[in-house]
Amino acid sequence: MEHQFVTDLQSNQNIVHKVCTLYTNDKDSHNDLFQEITIQLWKAYPKFRGEAKFSTWMYRVALNTAITLYRKSKRSIPTLDYDSVIFKIKADEYDETEEEQLKLMYKAIKQLGDIDKALVFLYLEDKDYREISETLGISEVNARVKMNRVKTKLRTILNP
Amino acid sequence: MMDELELLKKDWQKKDNHIPQLSYSDIHKMTWKKSSSIVKWILIISILEFTLPHLLYLIPSFQENMNIYETIGIKKYFHAVTLIQYLVVFYFIYQFYKRYKEISVLENAKILMQKIIKTRKTVKNYVIFSLSMILFTVLLLIIGIYLNDDFANSISELNNKATDMSPEKLKIALMIGIGAFGILLTLFMGAIYFLLYGRLLRKLNNNYRKLKELEI
Repeated sequence: MEHQFVTDLQSNQNIVHKVCTLYTNDKDSHNDLFQEITIQLWKAYPKFRGEAKFSTWMYRVALNTAITLYRKSKRSIPTLDYDSVIFKIKADEYDETEEEQLKLMYKAIKQLGDIDKALVFLYLEDKDYREISETLGISEVNARVKMNRVKTKLRTILNP
Repeated sequence: MMDELELLKKDWQKKDNHIPQLSYSDIHKMTWKKSSSIVKWILIISILEFTLPHLLYLIPSFQENMNIYETIGIKKYFHAVTLIQYLVVFYFIYQFYKRYKEISVLENAKILMQKIIKTRKTVKNYVIFSLSMILFTVLLLIIGIYLNDDFANSISELNNKATDMSPEKLKIALMIGIGAFGILLTLFMGAIYFLLYGRLLRKLNNNYRKLKELEI
């Protein structure tokens, strides 16, 4: 069972890395959160019966750990300095305006609250409103309304 | 804006090929590490809260102090109170264990938060109960001293030291002293408790409030 779990997690680890990047501000915290999510996933693994996809199941556990269970080991000031591939923009792939927009967007997302981050994360991962509402425990309508609000918030940050 | 968000989504999904990957053994090692989640912390702090006050009875000087209840004639009341207290403590432990077991990371975010808050509420009620018991015991002591006319004589040792005080005055001084000590102890323990949990659960409470706000 352990071998199966580690193999499954290894091939789906990007989900956890992305959650960690959103919710932490430095490399140590990133690794710390990654470890806590791994522990929680492993603890819950016996209850995973393969009814859902392993990745779908991971989203819930990873977000629950980041939002609720994880205790920040130390105070860290939000910066974008930490060397995370996720927030790095490959300049040669975009024109100057796009590059600037992306940079601002990622910076803006980092400033959002934990719940808003979860909404944006699930949106970026192409999850539909049903899945978003089931993960967070809110109604689909509220998920939609809230997502629109977050979009407006991001818009205000981008175009002050 | 839609275009900007679509651009972001495209960029986000492209990252997958670039994220540094952990090896099998890195992940395998992590599964053996101990969790440091707030649920774990609530469990540890709660166990301390349930056991520490009871360990006091193991200290010899504390046992000797128990004789004071006999001296002032409230021993049988004290025994009755202790019995009730233990029954209530076991009830709290049972409740706590039941709720703690219900916490599952597989719930949706809102239910998970609700269950943690509910579990903590059990501990909170327990602490309020314990603090009330301290105050009640102190009150019992004060009443005992007040009703016992031979009190000053029965603790002759104290009386010898305070020769310049009349028995009546000594009695009042003791009552005030014990009362003040009881109130200070309660306030002190209450403050530590609320600071501890306030810090531990600040993030959870904030996020829960935000989720609740979505319902409006």
